[in-house]
Amino acid sequence: MTTPTTTPTTTARSNTTGLRRRARAAVARSAAGDRSLVVLVGGLLLVAGTLVALLSYGVFGTGRSARPLLDPIILDTLRAQPLPFRLVAIVGGLLLAVLGVVWAARSVRPESRPDLHLTGVPDTRIVIDSTAAADAIGRQAAGLAGVGRARARLVGPEHAPALRVTLWLADDADVGAVLAALDEQVLAGARESLELGELPVAVRLELDAVTPPPRVA
Amino acid sequence: MRAVLRVLSPLIALALAAAGVLLVIEVVGAWLRPSLPAGVADGVVVPWPAWQVWLGGLTWRSEPVPVVAIVAAVVGLLLVLVGLLARRSAIGMEGPDPAITVTTSPRVLAQLVGRRVRAAEDVTSASVTASARRISVTAQGWADEPQLRASVVARVEELLDQLPLHRRPTVSVSVSERKGPR
Repeated sequence: MTTPTTTPTTTARSNTTGLRRRARAAVARSAAGDRSLVVLVGGLLLVAGTLVALLSYGVFGTGRSARPLLDPIILDTLRAQPLPFRLVAIVGGLLLAVLGVVWAARSVRPESRPDLHLTGVPDTRIVIDSTAAADAIGRQAAGLAGVGRARARLVGPEHAPALRVTLWLADDADVGAVLAALDEQVLAGARESLELGELPVAVRLELDAVTPPPRVA
Repeated sequence: MRAVLRVLSPLIALALAAAGVLLVIEVVGAWLRPSLPAGVADGVVVPWPAWQVWLGGLTWRSEPVPVVAIVAAVVGLLLVLVGLLARRSAIGMEGPDPAITVTTSPRVLAQLVGRRVRAAEDVTSASVTASARRISVTAQGWADEPQLRASVVARVEELLDQLPLHRRPTVSVSVSERKGPR
């Protein structure tokens, strides 16, 4: 694992940081791309709308606000030199169309469920289906003391899968004990049997629905 | 907010793509049919020559311009807010191992606190709001106020001792004494 230039401790530390980062990323699907584009579009609308409103109310001078919306100087320039403006408009339109389609496709694409590839057996390729592996882990986790229901799924890219586990805790569960049991009894076994040396895990805790005791016995 | 973002984001993307396609169609269409007389000329899909005539009669302070600008600015502000507020609201907890991240939602924390507080004998009703920084409890009970407050605070603190939260939220409790026969 270690190279001559790095000492074992630094390698271990950077591994730990990477694992922690991947575990945090597995908590939920990332919305960073969608958020930044929505903020960008919204910001452009906000700035443009504010500037036009100020111009319209004469903040930049009443002479300016009295000018026609389609400025004759700009129209004359467009009419005198139509070719470059047409090309710019076509290229801009194509870019907008491609950007829009790519963005829409990215944001409606379902989250990836990576299959696991086992390499332990020579000359044989063994692939474990993502759902099968996750369901096995989920069933084991549901059997822990203090856990009412559990669900697991694999997330992330195929070369670096991570696990997302949702635990619905019973009313009297001790959170620390449940987490320790999950680590020792479920995750340790999963890492070993799935041949994953490192498996970042994001655990989401929920409360199991409580059925209220009958008011009349 | 995350749900709003999930719906809104592909819609905006498709609107942008449609605008781009229409722009290309109209520019190419106008380029290929330059000889039509002005009165006959019309867009391929969008009737933009009519719009051009209408816009040509407007100045920057004509009637619909400021209203449209303000509406655009407000829509933009809402989009910015949706984008900024669509954060993860998860509350972090200490995991047993660095490779394990444990989170829960503010709703779950509030439910845990609520169950703990309502389990007390002297509390008749309680409502709880929780975030990663702050838990506020409003409780009603039979005991007199200082005693009730002390018992509620003790119960919440006891619960927080048991939960391995990354940062311990501050607890604020307001209580009211319930009058009348028990």
